Amino acid sequence: MINNKMGAVAACAVLASVLAACGSSSPSTSASGSADTLVGAGSTLVAPLVSQWQPEYDKKAKVAVTYGAIGSGGGIEQITARTVDFGASDAPLSESQFKEAKEVVQIPWALAATVIAYHLEGAPNQLKLTGPLLAEIWEGKVTSWNAPAIAALNPGVTLPATKITPIHRSDGSGDTFALTNYLSQISPEWKAKIGKGTEVPFPVGVGAKGNSGVGGAISSTNGSIGYIAIAYVLANKFDYALIKNAAGNYPVPGIPSISAAAKALTTVPPDNELSIVNPPVSAPAAYPISTFTYAIVPLKSPKASTLKPFLKWAITEGQQYGPKLDFAPLPQLVVAADDATIEKIGS
Amino acid sequence: MSVSASTAAAAPGALSAHRGLADRLGDRALIGLTWLASAAGMLLIALLVYKVFDQAGASLSRFGLGFVGSRTWNPVSDEFGAGDFVFGTAVSSFAALLIAAPTSIAIALFLTELSPGRIRRPVTTLVELLAAIPSVVLGLWGIIVLAPFVNNTLEPALHSALGWIPLFSGSPSPFGLIPAILILTIMTVPIVASVSREIFQTVPTELKEGALALGCTRWEMVRMVMLPYARPGIVGAVILGLGRALGEAIAVTMVIGDTASIHASLFAPADTLASRVASEYQSATTPLQISSLAYLAAILLVLALLANALARLIVGRSTRRLGASAGGRR
Repeated sequence: MINNKMGAVAACAVLASVLAACGSSSPSTSASGSADTLVGAGSTLVAPLVSQWQPEYDKKAKVAVTYGAIGSGGGIEQITARTVDFGASDAPLSESQFKEAKEVVQIPWALAATVIAYHLEGAPNQLKLTGPLLAEIWEGKVTSWNAPAIAALNPGVTLPATKITPIHRSDGSGDTFALTNYLSQISPEWKAKIGKGTEVPFPVGVGAKGNSGVGGAISSTNGSIGYIAIAYVLANKFDYALIKNAAGNYPVPGIPSISAAAKALTTVPPDNELSIVNPPVSAPAAYPISTFTYAIVPLKSPKASTLKPFLKWAITEGQQYGPKLDFAPLPQLVVAADDATIEKIGS
Repeated sequence: MSVSASTAAAAPGALSAHRGLADRLGDRALIGLTWLASAAGMLLIALLVYKVFDQAGASLSRFGLGFVGSRTWNPVSDEFGAGDFVFGTAVSSFAALLIAAPTSIAIALFLTELSPGRIRRPVTTLVELLAAIPSVVLGLWGIIVLAPFVNNTLEPALHSALGWIPLFSGSPSPFGLIPAILILTIMTVPIVASVSREIFQTVPTELKEGALALGCTRWEMVRMVMLPYARPGIVGAVILGLGRALGEAIAVTMVIGDTASIHASLFAPADTLASRVASEYQSATTPLQISSLAYLAAILLVLALLANALARLIVGRSTRRLGASAGGRR
């Protein structure tokens, strides 16, 4: 009997002390943490660059930036719900998304490319392909690697008779947007039947989740072809295709060819939507599927005093960490437009 | 009688001398807390079902019940329908059960009747461990090991041997219905096998011994005594496995190819209700798409709850019948 009572009293005491501890610890952590953290989410394409920025910016400004690479579509959704301080998307916001998100601006803050990777045993790296041919592959019209269209572009290469397995992203993706934006511009049939977006109804092929899912699918399937952010392709040493640009050249995807595509930009529109896929003939060395990626920030943010310096740092000093990860530096034109946009953010 | 009455009178008297506030509160606290826990569980289910149907509201009012059969899924033009996914769910779950049910019954029979006593324990544990493998790990194994095997060995073999059947008529693909069916089979076998094993253990020994004494072989005894006796319970176990297969999202989404389409061939990529919700929910772009994904979740919820309820009904009825008849025989 005494044991029971003592046990009950002891249990209550433990419970009370635990509750007290919880109650006392929470205010202190929030007090020390509130002004010095930024939370962001979105694009997996820019994720490697953001993970370079995190320790450097923490050293410089004592601000801890957390970033969740949940995909561009997820980033747009989170910033619309204001559950994060900034979103990141490879696709510029559409009219309806701007309306849903209510008073946000998009700020192009990194420049990369989507690369066509493939896995074909018996074939060399850097096979040559064209935009219309890519459209036909993802439409299911060209089904074999030794098709005459591919063989014509690659004289002297013996192509095996393997079936082509096109791989696409099953989740919302800025890489999907970059590729479908490009294909919509060079193929009227693609534009009419499938269109562009972060998720489109691909008629054939296999879906995989995330850049890593597509990478895994490509490495385990002979004959597969997919589109992945350039950093993943080069880091994992996948074979990649050279795509013919408007000038008739086959530039190797990399900083020089991406910068050449960005240099073809002459103005930045007021909503900062930049499309540099399918660059004109005047850019002979440009890689055709280069893409800007955007930070999406609210015009009125309680974290404006922390957010604005971070964004300004990201588009200037932060760019130096880009080239190692195959991000090209932003052209001066874009940095100036971004600066003006960042100034508009208030609290 | 009087002796027991006096000892009975002494015992409560000895306890009640110490009855105090703590003891009375203890009883009330027990009743209160257990009520609270049960109510919380019921409330959670109700809220979950309500919230899913609430989120599906926009899509329900826009597409109505035709959504369940419609075959479009187009985020660009904002038109959605569940037809492809209902087909994928149905085919993958039923095919997985078709393979899992005989396998599980065989495992259960082996463990109850035929295995030497020494290996019974380890084999039972191993089979139940299969259920403990996290589904993400199974999915990863599916991408790295199963997909190449299916693409390079299994599907070409099926195609050359049985290619005249439409089911095996397409071209081999590493991701599609076949790897999904195989993974779902691996996930349902432990459940069906352990429930079947329990059911087989309830078969009265005198029935089995009687059959053997009359000169039946092992196989005849199993066929004529055990299987008919256990049949309702096995059916319940299989439906329980169906409930598991219906709801599996992560492992399936990694190997099924995530393509909204219906083909006659099992080699082609497809998608299921759970897998589509898992892959698209976080990145859905328009409110109608989010609502349509919630509608998919609602359909899945209804299917899974029905399967579970049916399984409980059948297993419960059969164990009560077996218990009653076993007791009655004595």
